[in-house]
Amino acid sequence: MMSSTNNIGLEEILSSLNQLFEGVSTEKVDPRQYKIITPPEKTIPVLEFLKEKGYSHLSILTCIDWIAEKKFELVYILFNWGTGVTFVVSTYVNRDNPIFYTVKHIWPTAEYYERDVHEFFGVKFEGNENCEKPLILELWNDLPPLRKDFDPLEYSKKHYPDREYQKDAIHEARIIRGDVRGEIDG
Amino acid sequence: MGEVKLFFGPNHPGMHGNFSVHMYVEGDIVVKARPMPGFLHRGFEKLMERRLWYQNVALIPRICVPEPDINEACYAMAIEKIARVEVPERAQWIRMIVLELARIANHLWSFGGIGGPTGMYTSMYWAVADRDRVLDIFEELSGARIYHMYIVPGGVRKDLPPKLEDKIYHLLDYLEAKIPEYETFILKNRILHTRLKGIAKIDTETCLKIGVTGIGLRATGVPYDIRKVDPYLFYDKVEFEVPTATEGDAYARISLKPKEIIQSIRIIRQCLEKMPSGPVNVKIGEGSGLRIRVPRGMAYVHVESTRGEYGYLVVSDGGEKPYRVAVRGASYPQGLYGVEHLLPGTRIDDVPIWLDSMGVCAPEIDR
Repeated sequence: MMSSTNNIGLEEILSSLNQLFEGVSTEKVDPRQYKIITPPEKTIPVLEFLKEKGYSHLSILTCIDWIAEKKFELVYILFNWGTGVTFVVSTYVNRDNPIFYTVKHIWPTAEYYERDVHEFFGVKFEGNENCEKPLILELWNDLPPLRKDFDPLEYSKKHYPDREYQKDAIHEARIIRGDVRGEIDG
Repeated sequence: MGEVKLFFGPNHPGMHGNFSVHMYVEGDIVVKARPMPGFLHRGFEKLMERRLWYQNVALIPRICVPEPDINEACYAMAIEKIARVEVPERAQWIRMIVLELARIANHLWSFGGIGGPTGMYTSMYWAVADRDRVLDIFEELSGARIYHMYIVPGGVRKDLPPKLEDKIYHLLDYLEAKIPEYETFILKNRILHTRLKGIAKIDTETCLKIGVTGIGLRATGVPYDIRKVDPYLFYDKVEFEVPTATEGDAYARISLKPKEIIQSIRIIRQCLEKMPSGPVNVKIGEGSGLRIRVPRGMAYVHVESTRGEYGYLVVSDGGEKPYRVAVRGASYPQGLYGVEHLLPGTRIDDVPIWLDSMGVCAPEIDR
């Protein structure tokens, strides 16, 4: 099942990442997890390279909104079934006009992850023609909700205002029970 | 005959949780299928960013209703990884017991659930009743039957109550005697054979291509299990096997569930034997009481759920609340891409078999 490329040593992969791709930095999170930060133009070649080296399982593609730095961080989590090592590959895109490229030719399921990220962060993925189709939210007409500048409390107050009650139902109930005297309207 | 549009779900006996598939059918053959998630979207990832680290413990079990403990475990382990905190040994063994009990409960639940799409209701009556015995243990352990909120960052909430170990042993003995009966009366039943053999088939290549994990993948003959490949807690210190089948059909997947229960029983027995005494939790980070701070950082933690790889990406900016939490639901690939691309060509009545036996869980897709 496991191809021979799976057994290439971790050190070798990390050093060839630095040699083959300029501007890529690697950081050890723990012995079986590494974080790789790539410049946007190198991300897809890096992902293709890692897939070939046995990191063939895309666990998730997601996004983080770094509003202070005005960046979105796209995170691709790759897992190697042969060695049990996880690579967290990330790249930064501009927050004002967030456009990136699809990876659905590498991992078909990415089509749905990209739709998810578009819906919740507003990042567009060039090459994924379905990316702007709504997926989970229905008839959404506000800022993408997982952006840091979206305030869910304010949204709820705007869309679901507090009810104003015309009658004091508790007072009326006490009148009916005879606890207090008074009249009931209508 | 023309093409007709049919709605499967959001309420259907063959679907657990609210999830819908829009099917375009010709006769009784599905021509096109579109997954429609979102009925159970509760905005957990956003809510988590607005609550304290500890407050989220009460929120996250609800992401996956039938198997809540994996959420607690992933969340807690991710925080511990960022904060570089060592959890006491006893707490880790207790976590393993809880996770394996949850696996047994959820396997029984979904084993019973196959009664819905196949009409084999005996499995439901039996398995759900046995699942209740596991829930009794959880109730005694945590005070709650479904959402336990027992695994917390830094360890577990409390030590095992007195005499619970004996009750767990008793439960394991009972289940061990019961599982062969499941195999004789349910798995050998003609209804299940007719409705599941050769139905909803998937091969290894497709599984790996679209990212299907767990039983869906193991039923095609690949022994990939995160507990073995990337062991967390003390899964590398216990002996267990990873059951596989080769057919890749719904029957193979369902028949793996009792085998996995047997392995879970084996793991729990070893945990109870190897568990030392000692403290069961440590404090995480700075701050007082439940208002803790987690150092800046990012970590991904995944565990083997009953449906496959279940993971949490947790990001901290050093504050009192998580900066971002992303959840990898185990059934995302088969529930969305799988429905769209693998259902066309099958019969209408096989759609619930796919959703059920592949473990499509709507709440973890919607989050």
